[in-house]
Amino acid sequence: MERLKFIGKRLLYMIVMLFGVATMVFILTKLIPGDPVVANLGQRAMSNPEVVAAYRAKYGLDKPLLAQYFIYIGNLFHLDLGTSIRTNNEVLFELKRCFPATIELALMSIILATIFGILFGIISAIRRNSALDQGVRVISVTGVSIPSFWFALLALYFLYYKLQIFPGPGRLSNIYAAPETVTGLYVIDSLIEGNGAKALDALSHLILPSVVLAAFTMGLITRTTRSNILDVMSTDYIRTAKAKGLSESKLISRHALGNALIPVLTVIGMGLGNLLGGMVLVETIFNWPGVGQFAYASVTAADFPSIIGVALLIALNYMVINTIVDILYGIIDPRVRCS
Amino acid sequence: MKKKLAALVMSFTVVLSLAACGGGPDASPEDGGSGSADGGSKTVVIAMEGEGLETFDPGYVYEKYSHVVMNACYENLFKFYSNDGAAEPCLADTYEFSDDGLTLTVTLKDGIKFASGNPMTSADVAFSINRCKNLKGNPSFIADTIDSVETPDDKTVVFHLTEPDSAILSKLTYNAVAILDSKVAKENGATDAEDAAETDTARNYLDNASAGSGMYVLTKYTPNEEIVLEKNENYWGENASNVDKYIIQLQGDANTQMMTLSSGDVDVALNLTDDTVSELESNDSVAVINDPTKTVAFVMMNMDENIGGPVSEPKVQQAIRKALDYKGVQEIVGSGTITPYALIQDGFMGSKGTRDVSYTDVEEAKKILADAGYPDGFDIDLIITDLAFEGTPLTDLGQKVKDDLALIGINCNIVTQAWAAGYGDAYRDGTLGLTVMYWSVDYADPNVQLEFLPGGLVGLRAGWEADMDPEIAAMAKSCMEATEDEARTAILEEIQDATYEYGPFAMIAQAPAHIGYNTRLTGVAVSDPYTLDVTMINIAE
Repeated sequence: MERLKFIGKRLLYMIVMLFGVATMVFILTKLIPGDPVVANLGQRAMSNPEVVAAYRAKYGLDKPLLAQYFIYIGNLFHLDLGTSIRTNNEVLFELKRCFPATIELALMSIILATIFGILFGIISAIRRNSALDQGVRVISVTGVSIPSFWFALLALYFLYYKLQIFPGPGRLSNIYAAPETVTGLYVIDSLIEGNGAKALDALSHLILPSVVLAAFTMGLITRTTRSNILDVMSTDYIRTAKAKGLSESKLISRHALGNALIPVLTVIGMGLGNLLGGMVLVETIFNWPGVGQFAYASVTAADFPSIIGVALLIALNYMVINTIVDILYGIIDPRVRCS
Repeated sequence: MKKKLAALVMSFTVVLSLAACGGGPDASPEDGGSGSADGGSKTVVIAMEGEGLETFDPGYVYEKYSHVVMNACYENLFKFYSNDGAAEPCLADTYEFSDDGLTLTVTLKDGIKFASGNPMTSADVAFSINRCKNLKGNPSFIADTIDSVETPDDKTVVFHLTEPDSAILSKLTYNAVAILDSKVAKENGATDAEDAAETDTARNYLDNASAGSGMYVLTKYTPNEEIVLEKNENYWGENASNVDKYIIQLQGDANTQMMTLSSGDVDVALNLTDDTVSELESNDSVAVINDPTKTVAFVMMNMDENIGGPVSEPKVQQAIRKALDYKGVQEIVGSGTITPYALIQDGFMGSKGTRDVSYTDVEEAKKILADAGYPDGFDIDLIITDLAFEGTPLTDLGQKVKDDLALIGINCNIVTQAWAAGYGDAYRDGTLGLTVMYWSVDYADPNVQLEFLPGGLVGLRAGWEADMDPEIAAMAKSCMEATEDEARTAILEEIQDATYEYGPFAMIAQAPAHIGYNTRLTGVAVSDPYTLDVTMINIAE
């Protein structure tokens, strides 16, 4: 019951926060210099006042700013995010189109980052200051500091182009048609379609970009796991357990890991939120039609409705993830109560 | 615990390894699938930049990469069958200008059918032209000189022009005036009424399907991912291409395009760069084209003294023209770059070719500058924007101009301004004193360059009013009216002579296109009007 109340309260906050974000982004997009007419009309069209007037009227840019704001906020109540100035499609339609690609990539990346991050963190903590520990620390520092676009190019160059171990860019090989959209996640939709080979192909296309994206979060998770396990291992209750004769593996799995994982959960949550915002350069290099590419194209075209739509989506991602992380805190550690 | 974790990681790794090794290359194409780039299929895969691909509605289409799709799915009254040639009849059978040049009468070929099976009539032509005009979209300017369209019968179209327009045939090749199946278009919300800008609702339909008479039909468009074109089974004419299907993968990165082309995953890479081209040299199955396009970069010096200051003076402009290192600019832009002789690009009808790079003479430039009253040079702002000239950032060209001018004592202070955040407005309003900019041709005709003359669209941006140089301004009018090629060529040559060492523009480079393609293809070539004319590509048998 307490948890339900907590979720209800969070949902209410979320709605208020989203309107706050919408207002902030609306004001910011109007404050920064940038005219959709200049960004979207060609040099000749721009010189024809009649064409410019028709363009402004079509997207409501001829109305006073306050009127534009109230129309936008009014439409938000009906889940109408407006029409993209760049593509002429509903912004909600555009987000629905590109978000599944980002979700699929982000989920795969966070799974890889979590599994290998925690594993490396544990190994590193258990074998503290050994060669193995040093090796893991080198990997985690490299993961955190390597620029993702460069890593993406290297990965593609060696593992696809030179060694031909992984498939090239894109979500599927040319021989396959995109599966019928159910979830928008190609692996799952291919399985629903009953086409295992296509699902495997989609999964294989996910590996390289998700490894590239996972590198940063994995580095963070490794470092956080290692330092937290080391902290917990030096506490009195662990010493007591050790004195009672518990083996190291039992100590870690039964007593240390639970407590050490709470801060790791925050890192995972932040990492997932970050990934769900889309990664422009990695998406471009891997030809991945996700939110990052959409956001970049919207910014360069001064496509305000789309920019606000992406900002709302990112804000919503973080809010939902934070709520889930808070709930998970209570599950992992019963001392933490939802309040 | 350790064992469980290790088992989990191991099983995950095994699944990923299986996935990495399985799938793609060995599988056979499934229904609706795209087919591989090699292996003798009649499918061709093209890698192309996706930026600017916002619409495939002829009434709105404007950006260069959309033309690849438009030219495949739609046809016009006239077409460019070679890049440097003249517009030739396509849907048109015959055409005739009136003596005063104000009327163009076109007769349509017999038996033209749209992909829907509907026959094409003159009413479809009138609908398409009027819709383009009345949508007031990006490309509506193309019909500016068309006053009205008359259709006396099903086969005849009469264009009444507002003024004689020697470029009208070239304009009628433009994708924005491609002929739409008016029946299908109307069923999906299209209108050619005067209020079409407010009432036409066909764009969303036409962004995802085609309604033309071209060799191919648009069957799928996934933004930022791919476009699929399939052969039009109802095509009325003779198929010049044996390709059944095109998959256009939207790949924004040149390195990615190079790798996918080299690996055989794609057949044509449209946006290679100098660096990536050199990586392909050792690959025998790949050929590379580095041919110039008609896109030009230029230094603009404002003629208005209040805006341009010292660069408004013709002698200073000439000193700058002499000081610029054209060879160095060519090296920055990459192999295949040339410098046009003057305002008209090499390759256009009437062009006087290229400017020799030995034109650069720093010592003479210094003398001219001293004659102009600036023996010690001067300081000036050089405004640069965040755009790229066929892949070369304008900031790189700005830096080169700054270095070149420093040699004659002109010290440029580079000021960068985003296109959409100030520069675009200032450029349009003609308030930039000294800048480096580029110009892509809207339609493939030398008359597009008349805009650089006094009183023209770009001329005015450089503060070059018609009354400042009435003789040169008059050349633009004569050129517009010269519907005979010989007369027009003579005037175009006069224009180039007049602007070779005079005027607010120094044309510094004509950019190349770097295209790589699999040698199993023939007919791959640079195309200014269509970027890549896929209707001319064939797979070698």
